[in-house]
Amino acid sequence: MTEIETSAAPASETNIKPPNASPVEVVSRRPSTGTPFTRILGIATLVSMALLVLFGLFLSPEDIVQGESVRILYIHVGTVWVAYVAFGLTALSSLAFLWKRTTSLTWDRIAGASAEVGVLFMALTLFAGAIWGRLSWGKFWVWDARVTTTAFLFITYIGYLAVRGLGGSHQQRGRRSAVVALLAVLEIPLVHFSVKLWRGLHQDGSVSDTTKVKLHDLMLFSLFISLIAFTLLFVWLVIHRQRVLAMQDAMDDKGLDYALEQRRSEAGL
Amino acid sequence: MRLVAMQDVGFILATYVATFIGSIALAAYYLRRGRRLADQLPPEDKPWA
Repeated sequence: MTEIETSAAPASETNIKPPNASPVEVVSRRPSTGTPFTRILGIATLVSMALLVLFGLFLSPEDIVQGESVRILYIHVGTVWVAYVAFGLTALSSLAFLWKRTTSLTWDRIAGASAEVGVLFMALTLFAGAIWGRLSWGKFWVWDARVTTTAFLFITYIGYLAVRGLGGSHQQRGRRSAVVALLAVLEIPLVHFSVKLWRGLHQDGSVSDTTKVKLHDLMLFSLFISLIAFTLLFVWLVIHRQRVLAMQDAMDDKGLDYALEQRRSEAGL
Repeated sequence: MRLVAMQDVGFILATYVATFIGSIALAAYYLRRGRRLADQLPPEDKPWA
């Protein structure tokens, strides 16, 4: 291809930077799921994650009882918090979808996106918990009430995602998965209160009950950073996934029409 | 270095690394899939753009 031909092609196809384009314009040239808001959110997420590493691994002190393994809890608590929020949002969005006045597929897509991200964070929670258990209890896995119910919750939401993947129209998918989501969310109180209902190895809450444990200020701050960082990451992921799902639905509905139109224009018909 | 002096540093680092790799992998998948679909769809199917 000659230089003249290259310059005649649209900049969006060749990634050539026009002389007066700002960096933001160049970044936003290719269609994507990003917007200025999600870019700012992404930067805030990266900064808060860097702070989490700094405080979690370097600045926070070791625990008197747990030693250095307390650093794993800055990941474990943050990820399980986001998983709970994700599954709660899935239930609320499913309820909004089933509500007769708002049977918008946007609610269904938010529910699906949130559950998908929640499953990732629940997997990370179980992984971090297993590592912490190895250091604290001497075993990666114990059949403790909290650990077992958490694993059960994880498997339930994998099932929810499988139900979303079943055939049928988008409305059928929405109704079917919304019912499953509203049933699945009932497990969260069981998981949360399992440490009170059954005597097990897993510890009870340390932050909420200050009469039992007094946390060092830097430990509390590290936990706070963890919650902020993972919440920002969750919001970023759900926004992008929801947009991908919206485009996937549009492609399912009209993909053949677009393909035919494209072929016709290519053929000059 | 405080990190080097940690006990069980491998376990702790594995937790952080797995978390960040998992998150980055999912984010990259969403961005890549989003770009691929956005290339094929007209602007009316991308109200945020």
